[in-house]
Amino acid sequence: MRKIILKIAGGIVALLLGFAAVIWLVWVPSASEPGYVFVAAWGERGAAPGQFNDPTGIVVHAGEVFVSDARNARIQVFEFDGRFKRQFGTRGDGPGQLGRPMNLNISGNELYVVDYWNDRIQVFTLDGTPLRAIGKAGKGPGEFGSPGGVAVAANGDLFVADFYGQRIQHLRADGSFVKQWGITGKIGIWAGEFNYPTDVALATNGTLYAADGYNDRIQVFGPNGKFLRKWGGPFALNIFGPFNGWFATVTSVDIGPRGNVFVADFYNNRIQKFSPDGTFLTAFGKKGHGPGQFDKAIAVSVADDGTVFVADYVNNRVQKWQPMKK
Amino acid sequence: MKKLIALLLMALVWSIPVLAAGTQYQMRVDGLACPYCAYGIEKKLKKIEGVEKIDVDLNKGLVIVKVADGVKLTEKQMTQLFKDAGFTYRSMTEKAL
Repeated sequence: MRKIILKIAGGIVALLLGFAAVIWLVWVPSASEPGYVFVAAWGERGAAPGQFNDPTGIVVHAGEVFVSDARNARIQVFEFDGRFKRQFGTRGDGPGQLGRPMNLNISGNELYVVDYWNDRIQVFTLDGTPLRAIGKAGKGPGEFGSPGGVAVAANGDLFVADFYGQRIQHLRADGSFVKQWGITGKIGIWAGEFNYPTDVALATNGTLYAADGYNDRIQVFGPNGKFLRKWGGPFALNIFGPFNGWFATVTSVDIGPRGNVFVADFYNNRIQKFSPDGTFLTAFGKKGHGPGQFDKAIAVSVADDGTVFVADYVNNRVQKWQPMKK
Repeated sequence: MKKLIALLLMALVWSIPVLAAGTQYQMRVDGLACPYCAYGIEKKLKKIEGVEKIDVDLNKGLVIVKVADGVKLTEKQMTQLFKDAGFTYRSMTEKAL
């Protein structure tokens, strides 16, 4: 009897080990690229220029780094070396005022600020002059339930991650509705459905990458709107984890100069890099407060030369990383 | 008599700020961790009339709300609010300020 029990137990253990090995081989890829090296960090908690109270979004453009400083209700602008240049935005819901600015984007010479509390996208000149606002609170077409991120096409069309709306909306530049992915207000884990989407990025060929926040995955849609693929853990079905290619809440996505996809992996305290087809390339960062460590990497932006800037949320700072030389 | 009236007036003046200090609610919430969650809850709470201050402790999963005197938050109201924000409300403690 004892032998039978031992045999069964041994069989179960072998089965579990085999299953773990399969998962490891199939869903935990190795890095195929050299990593990134930490260059610099700046910022600390506070409200003075150069300090942050919840940095939640970041975008780089023409040698400048724009950062959403959420609880200070402002946008701060820095040189690539971290020197403070200017700031704009005040607390409120009037033109040019901000509630909780989140992910950012720049198109042409205009800054698109996603305003989570005011349910709108505000557009500024790069020096901070408010130009226009798109959207309002609601569940209808062109309305938002706390937007998280925005991407802008060459023709000015907008793609907005509508966090509580559980959808990605495609709008014209004037805010008129074109179409949406996902069912309004309904969480889903299957392809084309969302679980609190946080951000979007648009490749130069029109491919749309959506950060499907609490589904712990990236979803990809073709220029014709058709679902192409998804990745993040086994079957990309809301299975989170700390392994290569897995996520633990996705809060930001950006496309690098070579079309690679950079993802802020919030609870894993790292940035992961993928090829456009979702092949894992490399990752950098780990939890902590020291140089090169993150306490919740919330947003990522990649400069034309490949330098990566990251909003390090709990540490209230910005980090700069560069590709390791081969 | 004059002294008594003066004392009563002083007591009244002294008590006004105490009476008007309001109430602090401390709510325990499951799954509260990222700023998207925290801001979503803050956004909904600040729409309630009389809410004066909201603090969110992500690490402890606590939402601390100060309301004006006479304003009351109910368990039912909070359960629905946190459900709408995508989180599970667990409990609430109330403290007069």
